Amino acid sequence: MNQIKLNADLLRDRVATLSLTIVVLIVVSSIIWPAQFFSWENLSLVLLNLSIDAIVAVGMMILLISGSFDLSVGSVVAFAGGLAGYLMYYWGVYVPVAIITSLAACVLIGLVNGVLVAKMGVNPLIQTLAMMGIVRGLALMVSGSGIQNLPDSFNILGQGRLAGFQMPVWYMIIIVAIFSFLVAKTIFFRRYYYIGGNEKAAKLSGIRVDKMKIISFVLMSLLAGIAGIILAARLGAAMPTAGQGMELRVITAVILGGASLLGGQGKIMGALLGTLFMGIVANIMILARVSGYWQQIILGVILILAVTIDLGLQKRADRIARDLVKGKSLQNEN
Amino acid sequence: MRIKNIALAALFLASLMSCDPNKGVYNQQAQTEAAGEVVVADEEYVMVTTFVNFPMYVNHDQAAFKAWGEKMGVKTTVLGPAEWDVVAQVGVIEQVIPSKPTGLLINGTDPAIASAIDKAVDAGIPTVVYDSDIPGSKRHAFLGTDWYDIGRLQGEAIVDLIDGKGKIAYMGLVGQANMESGFQGLLDVVEKYPDITVIGKYDSQGSTENAAKITSDLIAAHPDLAAVCGFDAISGPGIGLSVREAGKVGKIKVTTVDWEPEHLKLVRDGVIQVLIGQKRELFTWYGAQFLYDMVHKTNRLSVDDQRAGITNIPYSVNTGLLKITAENIDLFDPQ
Repeated sequence: MNQIKLNADLLRDRVATLSLTIVVLIVVSSIIWPAQFFSWENLSLVLLNLSIDAIVAVGMMILLISGSFDLSVGSVVAFAGGLAGYLMYYWGVYVPVAIITSLAACVLIGLVNGVLVAKMGVNPLIQTLAMMGIVRGLALMVSGSGIQNLPDSFNILGQGRLAGFQMPVWYMIIIVAIFSFLVAKTIFFRRYYYIGGNEKAAKLSGIRVDKMKIISFVLMSLLAGIAGIILAARLGAAMPTAGQGMELRVITAVILGGASLLGGQGKIMGALLGTLFMGIVANIMILARVSGYWQQIILGVILILAVTIDLGLQKRADRIARDLVKGKSLQNEN
Repeated sequence: MRIKNIALAALFLASLMSCDPNKGVYNQQAQTEAAGEVVVADEEYVMVTTFVNFPMYVNHDQAAFKAWGEKMGVKTTVLGPAEWDVVAQVGVIEQVIPSKPTGLLINGTDPAIASAIDKAVDAGIPTVVYDSDIPGSKRHAFLGTDWYDIGRLQGEAIVDLIDGKGKIAYMGLVGQANMESGFQGLLDVVEKYPDITVIGKYDSQGSTENAAKITSDLIAAHPDLAAVCGFDAISGPGIGLSVREAGKVGKIKVTTVDWEPEHLKLVRDGVIQVLIGQKRELFTWYGAQFLYDMVHKTNRLSVDDQRAGITNIPYSVNTGLLKITAENIDLFDPQ
């Protein structure tokens, strides 16, 4: 009986099913392209290229758990790198000071988003869409046509290597680990599930929903800011066009990783797995030399397939759970 | 007995697997190259761009690259994100390196791709940049145009068209390094004419609708608008649409870049007065040829060019620009 319950829980857990899908994808790709896909160089590049999205996805997962989302993240990524670059290149500000100032500005952006959504009741879609435009404009103002030749002491933060991985991969691992622990184990972050599940009930039970929402938007902007700084360091340049289209990519990855647009669901590990899944699919398309015409079609089909299969597994899990309940009630009758 | 059979089968499989078909080709290639012939069928030249489905890239850059591949009998592959996403282009360059293509032809979309280009060069892959140069990179060669010249030529055309006086506006992909350089070229020309007022710089965001909306807003706010300049392929048709809808064809002068069929038609209709075009086919045809010549050491300059720290291909090539007006349109768009 316990085994059946375990199976049902596993099928319902998006982290488990997505992990399995990723393992299958890796095994199949390793068989098809043994030399190219399953090489240390390629796998570390896959992780490097998804690291920026994954860091942003962590913040987006927290927001989606609480029943909200943020469309301004891509602009914040560009702005953070641009402001830090501007301060270092034009004003000769020390690297740590430039980074802290830039992150403080990102916190301010998150604070404005949070206060207007939580206190003034502005719809998050409208608020963050407007903020997306404002911050993109600010990014263009500070970085113009882009700022190159950033100091080496800054670039090393994104271009340095540790144990074979380029630094952004390590930042991603650290951020995912910290927030996985916080969201899974601390009462403070668990409250986001209550808020996302039923905001009114959460309020009535004494949770300070407005404050929690503001914090979630601040965290989102802070993480997007960190991602922007890392991206600028990795490229050795601040680009005003960085992060364009990132918001939808990250939301897709997070939904794929188990979040719901209605809130109350998801795990930080799901955000990582969602971006990992999309990163591996993108890598496979490069290895398979899939032309640009087909890439978006294939990506769309894969996403629909992944979600459909997942829904199928969920239904199967529900059926197992129903059978389990039926079995128990029959046992009690006997 | 059964173990013996399995062992024999394994031995047979192992001997089959050891017959690497590529190994034969490489050996054959080495032998034939030694004999003075060149075997190129297993060579793969990869183009990495961004906005890979963009019609101008498909019709000019990619068409010429593929035609070159067919002529030379080599495999050509085009990779890149479907949207204008430079970071994703960096990711594609980096992820194509482990598969060791024969040569990489990279669209120089933004100086931020320099680190990815350096990784390709460090991995020993011949790498040529086209369209806009990435000066801080280790690329082996560059073919393209100077975007500052594109702006300068548009500026000179505008000055002629409006007789050095009136209000002008310009638009393109704001923040993109090559276009910003073009904007500067335009401004450096028009600032010499005190009777020309620059209303502003506008972001077309790569959308015809957006370019049209900006233009109609400008016409509404400035009925005496004299000219509009477009710096991306999308802007021209958008500007033309609004100028036509406002009934200002010929009254508001329009100059723009690129010479796609829609641009040529607008010149024929008198909506656009001047097109400044790039010779994009030359970027990729000769860019691929440079890669080929580098791989095959076509013009060896020393006993060992690599050790000598030189390449046997040109370092930088400016393919020049072309100017299309109502006077010469039949040469570019024969009816």
